[in-house]
Amino acid sequence: MHAIRIIGVEKNFGEVKALSNIHLGIEKGEFFTLLGPSGCGKTTLLRTIAGFCRQDKGDIYIENELINDVPAYQRNTAMVFQNYAVFPHMTVFDNVAYGLRVRRLPKEVIAQKVKTALRSVHLEGFEQRTPDKLSGGQQQRVGLARAMAIEPRVLLFDEPLSNLDAKLRIEMREEIKAVQKSLGITSIYVTHDQEEALVISDRIAVMNQGRIQQIGKPWEIYRDPQNIFVANFVGKINMLTLKLGQSAGSGYRQASLGDITLNIPAQGTEQLDSIIAAFRPEDVVEVRSTDRRNTITGFLRTVSFMGSVARFEVDVEGQTLTIDRHRPRETDIPPIHSQVVFSVPPESILLFDPVSGKRLGKGERS
Amino acid sequence: MTGKIRRADIWTLVTFAGFAIVVVFLIYPLFDIFRYSFIDKESGEVSLANWIQFFSKKYYLRAFTNSLFIAIATTFFSIMLGIPLAFFTTRYRIAGSTFLTTLSVLALLSPTFIGAYSWITMLGKNGFLRAMFQSIGVTLPQIYGPLGIILADTLQYYPFISLMTAGALMTVDRSLEEASENLGARPRRIFFDVTLPMVLPSVTGGALIVFMMSLSNFGTPMIIGGNFLVLPTLAYNLFTSEISETPGMASTVSIILMLCASIVIVLQQWLASRRKYASMLVNRPMVKILKGVRSLVAHVLCYGIVFLSTLPLAVIVYYSFRKTSGPVFKPGFSLDSYRQIFFDVPKTVTNSFLYSLAAVLLIAIVGTLLGFVIARKKSGVVKMLDSLLMIPYMVPGTVLGIGFIVAFNRPPIYLTGTAIIIILTYFIRRLPYSVRSAASILKQIDPALEEAGINLGSPPGRTFRTITLPLMQGGIISGAIMSWVTSMNELSASILLYVGQTMTMPIKIYLLVVDGFFGTASAMSTILLVVTGVSMYIVNKYFSKGGETFISA
Repeated sequence: MHAIRIIGVEKNFGEVKALSNIHLGIEKGEFFTLLGPSGCGKTTLLRTIAGFCRQDKGDIYIENELINDVPAYQRNTAMVFQNYAVFPHMTVFDNVAYGLRVRRLPKEVIAQKVKTALRSVHLEGFEQRTPDKLSGGQQQRVGLARAMAIEPRVLLFDEPLSNLDAKLRIEMREEIKAVQKSLGITSIYVTHDQEEALVISDRIAVMNQGRIQQIGKPWEIYRDPQNIFVANFVGKINMLTLKLGQSAGSGYRQASLGDITLNIPAQGTEQLDSIIAAFRPEDVVEVRSTDRRNTITGFLRTVSFMGSVARFEVDVEGQTLTIDRHRPRETDIPPIHSQVVFSVPPESILLFDPVSGKRLGKGERS
Repeated sequence: MTGKIRRADIWTLVTFAGFAIVVVFLIYPLFDIFRYSFIDKESGEVSLANWIQFFSKKYYLRAFTNSLFIAIATTFFSIMLGIPLAFFTTRYRIAGSTFLTTLSVLALLSPTFIGAYSWITMLGKNGFLRAMFQSIGVTLPQIYGPLGIILADTLQYYPFISLMTAGALMTVDRSLEEASENLGARPRRIFFDVTLPMVLPSVTGGALIVFMMSLSNFGTPMIIGGNFLVLPTLAYNLFTSEISETPGMASTVSIILMLCASIVIVLQQWLASRRKYASMLVNRPMVKILKGVRSLVAHVLCYGIVFLSTLPLAVIVYYSFRKTSGPVFKPGFSLDSYRQIFFDVPKTVTNSFLYSLAAVLLIAIVGTLLGFVIARKKSGVVKMLDSLLMIPYMVPGTVLGIGFIVAFNRPPIYLTGTAIIIILTYFIRRLPYSVRSAASILKQIDPALEEAGINLGSPPGRTFRTITLPLMQGGIISGAIMSWVTSMNELSASILLYVGQTMTMPIKIYLLVVDGFFGTASAMSTILLVVTGVSMYIVNKYFSKGGETFISA
């Protein structure tokens, strides 16, 4: 049984299609993320589930109850807001107790539940503080505790970490994940930060221009993107448009751009003249000579040292490709403008149809 | 869903009520004035006679040029006093600068006519300052006329400029000035290249308000102007002498006055819409500590300006405790003047309090509801209401008073001589301020807070009560107190509308001054000053975020 089912939901703002034909099924206890660039519709979808906007078309079910016409305040979907939305005129205790008081629970029960909620976000002893005395991270914890306290059917997160600094963001996302797992509350999380999405989610729906591009586990989204948008949006990827040539045997086919000739998996390319080949910076192997198969030669433009890797920008046939060198040592970084040769293992190449942008062949890497 | 529909109906009703108020109490009276301006006094027929007369007779045209002259001069001198005061108090350590701000706000909010007649007691024919200067051989120029008006107006209105400029100066991001210095600019260069351009919108905004206030000020020119007529006093004189006839000429003058005011308001709105560089700043400007002579000069300048503007108030308080015999001051002190008020005209005092209180309640409730509609409901109809609510800004009190008399002196609405008509003038004059302030408070409240309430299971009504209203509360109360102060001190419209039974303190003060009873006038003015001061103190202590509250609220 799905905890949440979304069937054919559409929403227009004037001429703009904010959501078109959204279908989703979210499992009970799942941590589900809506990932996409700003304006892709992810927040609109979240707010539609919360009841702040009404879809033009389609149905939304929470635990098999059709909630299209249930007002927001009766949906029992607690949201954690981007700007915290902690009530500034109430203490931490009153903030967390707010939803419980609305539900007319007995005083002792409220006190108990507030205590539990504050403990799980590590804010014990902050009960009588007012929000202006809290840091951004602490305010967001109050927001989380307040949402959890009412034991909602769904927890909704609207980019809750985007106003926090980088270090705190990482700390908080671990905490959110831990709290969510221990309570087992179904959660929908909206973010534009792909790294955050990969780390925190059980499954991800990548969205663009009001449409869902792909739904899958973090591994699938990264390793097996179904179209160019997803491949580009999640992680860094190199793309080359290649002219297709003859077969190279054993299921491979030649494809070229200028002096470069690569062997690529032939499956799905039969009807095409050209193709987009994509590979991740970490999948290439730097080599000494051009003797090996599938090598690309270019000139080193810049080197960014990032600690665990050194990222090279390499000029190849008028384009810039990105390749990573792992465990770099200062002594073996080649000088700028020198020639660099690297090989792309054929099995790590992803192929896309240049017209539709859709993925070709099977997801062999998944 | 039914809840949603019912809610929509309430706000539709509020919107409709807003339109009704605007049409009945603004458009209807103003249209009457407009109509009368085209009716010939002698023949009673439709004609351009009044308009032709206005632009052909020197008597009328002079009032027009006089008005512009006074407004321009007042604005100029206000800038000259306001900018240095703002700069020194915000950028240099001036001992007691909060105290100075408080005093200048008191001068700003005190009834306009008090300053004027206080200057008469100091520099008039028998003024004590004049006598003092005379004794050392200096003959001061005549105070009645343009000089007196400009003096009183400037010393009352300059705080508009100093407060707004100070507000802007405090929010100029320090990094901008540091960037300029870092790129090699010297202090003077930094001021003219970076600081001044950043605060210029506020200076011009303040200057336009000063221009507007002095253009439509009635009390000051009436008391100290002598034969020097400006548009509001001309309209008043014409109206009170024309009363038996149709008030054609007074209407024409009113329309011209309103047109001048409208131009200024439109300019001001246009400027306000494109102003404000400073936003969410992190780096507040630093306050420098001056040493030696420089510090002394800065202190003398700041204290000099502020003391000069509060001097008239101090003089009034002083005279209120002097012994009197009729219009003549005697040596020694007594509470006679106060006794006289409470035995002779206690009704005037209670009238003022009651009318203002009634008006403030109306203003707070209607203003908050309309403010909510304007801030949260976006539709063409609401936008139209929003712009219609601008009208009272453009209608000087004198014009509104004339409009109310001509419109509500006959069926279907007959209100002449009632308390209601005075309460309604207070209400209409303050309503746009109250609507604006409620709307701007709401715009500062993150809608996510209301959503959070609803999301946690609280229905819209409960959310409004437990979240929105508590967050608006401070703003509503401080706005109400400001309305209270302006209502207590209102003269220009109510002087046209009162009858013996509905006389208020400002009117009585004016009449006492005209009759020469300075002692009683001073005592009553002192009461108004105390009310103003106490109200200000409450706003400042409990609700304020700096001097600008008093201008915007």
